[in-house]
Amino acid sequence: MTTVIEARGLTKSYGATRALDDVSFSVGPGRIVGLIGPNGAGKTTALKAILGLTTFEGELRVLGIDPRAQRDALMSEVCFIADVAVLPRWLKVSQALSFCAGVHPRFDRARAEEFLSRTDIHLTSRVRELSKGMVTQLHLALIMAIDARLLVLDEPTLGLDLLYRRRFYDTLLNDYFDKERTIVLTTHQVEEVENLFTDVIFINHGRVVLAAAVEELGQRYQQVTLAGEQAARGRALRPFYEREVFGRVAMLFEGRSAAELGALGELRTPSIADLFVAKMQETGST
Amino acid sequence: MNSTFEAAAAAAPGGEPTPAHAPTGRTLLMLVRREFWENRYLWCAPLAVAVLIALSPLLGHGELHLPPFANAESRVALSTLVQWGLLIPLSVVMVICVSYYLLDCLYAERRDRSILFWKSLPLSDRLTVGAKVLVALLVVPLGVCLLGVLAHVVFSVLIDVRLALRGLPAPLAFNLLEWFRTELALLLMMLLAMLWYAPLSAYLLLISAWARRSPFLWAALPLALAPLLERIVFGSHYLWSFLTYRWKGIWQLLALGHTQIVSHDHVRSVGTLLDDLNFREAFTDVDLWLGVAVAVALVLLAVRVRRYRDDT
Repeated sequence: MTTVIEARGLTKSYGATRALDDVSFSVGPGRIVGLIGPNGAGKTTALKAILGLTTFEGELRVLGIDPRAQRDALMSEVCFIADVAVLPRWLKVSQALSFCAGVHPRFDRARAEEFLSRTDIHLTSRVRELSKGMVTQLHLALIMAIDARLLVLDEPTLGLDLLYRRRFYDTLLNDYFDKERTIVLTTHQVEEVENLFTDVIFINHGRVVLAAAVEELGQRYQQVTLAGEQAARGRALRPFYEREVFGRVAMLFEGRSAAELGALGELRTPSIADLFVAKMQETGST
Repeated sequence: MNSTFEAAAAAAPGGEPTPAHAPTGRTLLMLVRREFWENRYLWCAPLAVAVLIALSPLLGHGELHLPPFANAESRVALSTLVQWGLLIPLSVVMVICVSYYLLDCLYAERRDRSILFWKSLPLSDRLTVGAKVLVALLVVPLGVCLLGVLAHVVFSVLIDVRLALRGLPAPLAFNLLEWFRTELALLLMMLLAMLWYAPLSAYLLLISAWARRSPFLWAALPLALAPLLERIVFGSHYLWSFLTYRWKGIWQLLALGHTQIVSHDHVRSVGTLLDDLNFREAFTDVDLWLGVAVAVALVLLAVRVRRYRDDT
C-alpha cells in the first residue's frame, strides 16, 4: 500500500514565529493518527499544509499529490472539518445536501440522509437554527457520505458537550472508518480519544517531538509507580519525567527493559495523555 | 525515501476510475445557485421592484393625460418608452445589489470562515470566483432584463384594462417589431454597461478577496483620495479625468445624449436608438476591450488571493 501522507522538512513561518520547523512524518493507509500538541504548536498549520490551504517550504505528498499544485484534484479524495463550525449559517440542510451532491463526484446523498434521519436535524432547517452539536452532526453527515481516502479533523468536537463528543467519535469509528481510509485528527481532549488512535504524532514549537504507532509505545516507553522512598533508585535510571501522586512517584522511562524497571515498582505502559504531558515538559512547554 | 515519493506519485493516478471532478457545467450551475441561496437580495430586491412597478397602475387615480399627438405611431412609441422607463428603477436596484454583492462575496466567506467548508470540496478557486463573476455580470443583468419584460407586459395590460373600464382609449399600443427593436437596444446597452464597468466590478471583487476588514472603506478610499491627493500634491487632475472617463466615456461614444426620444411635439420609438446610436463604434472601442482585459487580470488576481490568503 502507498503512503497517504509523506512530509519532509515542512517549514512555515508567520513573521518571526516558526509555526513549522523542519517537520517530517509519514502516514500510512488505514491509520487513525492523532496530531497532538499544545495551543500554537503548529498542529493547525500542519493540517493546513496537508490540505493545501497555506504555503510552506519543504516536500509534501498527500495521496501522491502536491497539495500546493493540485488542490482541487486532491479535495475529491480528501475531506476535512476545520476547528470550528464552518458551515455557513444561511445554508439549509437540504441545500447542503444538494450542493455536495452537485459538486462532489464521490458524495452519496442517500447515505447522508440516512445518517441525518438518526438525528433531530430537519432537512428544512437552516444551519443558524441548529445547536452547535447538531451543526457538527450535520457536517459529519456530509463528510461521511463522501467516499474519501483521507479525512482530516481539526478539533472537530471543540465546544461540544460530552454526549455529542462521544457520539461523534462512535459514529466515526463504527460507520466510517475502515482499513482503506485514513483519519488525521487533532484534539485537546486526548484522554477521551486516546483509544481511537493507531498512531500519534506529538508536536511542540513547530517540531515533531514523537511520532510512533501506538503499539510501539509499550516497547519504547515505560511508566513505573514507586513509593516515595524508592525515588532515588528510580532516578538513577534517568526517567525523563516524574510526577508525584498521593505520596507515590510516577516516573516515565524510555527504552528500559521490563526486568530493569519491574524491580522498582508497579510497571505499566504510560497513557498517551501522560506521555504527552511528559514530552511537552521535556521539550519546554507548560 | 526518494523511492517512497516516486511510488506514491506513480500510484496516485492509478486508483479507482471515479472522476476527480463532477462535470464542470453541473458544478458551475450549482455554484451559481448557491450564490442566490446565500445572497437572496440578488433576486428578492429586483423582484420586489418589478412587482411594484408592474402593479403601479393599480395605485393612484388612473388618470393618464395623453399628449395631444396621440396617434397610432406615437402610442407604439409611448409603449416602448414605458418599456425603457420601467427598466430604469430595476437597473438602479441592480447596480446597488451587484456592487454590494461583488464587494461582499469573497469577504463574507472569510468573515464567517465558511470558506473552509467550500475549500473542503473539490472546487477550484477559479471556478468558484468565476461563478461569482458570472452571477454579477451576466445572470443578474439578464434576469433583470427578463423581469423588465414581464413587468412591462403586466403594466401595459393593467393600464389598458383600467382605462377601458372607464371607457377611455388605450394609451399604449403594442407592436412586436418595435418591442423587439427596443428590447434589443436595451439589451445591447446593458451588455455594453457590463463590459464597460467590468474593471470596476473586478476591482470590487479583488478588494473583497483582499480586505481584512471594511471592504467598503478599502474600495471607496483609493477612488476618493487618490484624485484628491493628486490635486493637492501635483495640482493636476489626470486621475479625476480618468475616473470620469471610465464612468461615462462609453455613453459619450455611444452618443446617448444627442438623441431625442421625446421632444415637445413628438415621441419616437426607443427602438430607433438602434439606428441612431453608435453601437458599432462602442463595441469595437479599444478602451472598452482594454478595460475588459484589465478586468480579467484583476479577477485572476482575486482568484490568486483567495487561493493563498491564509487568515481564517
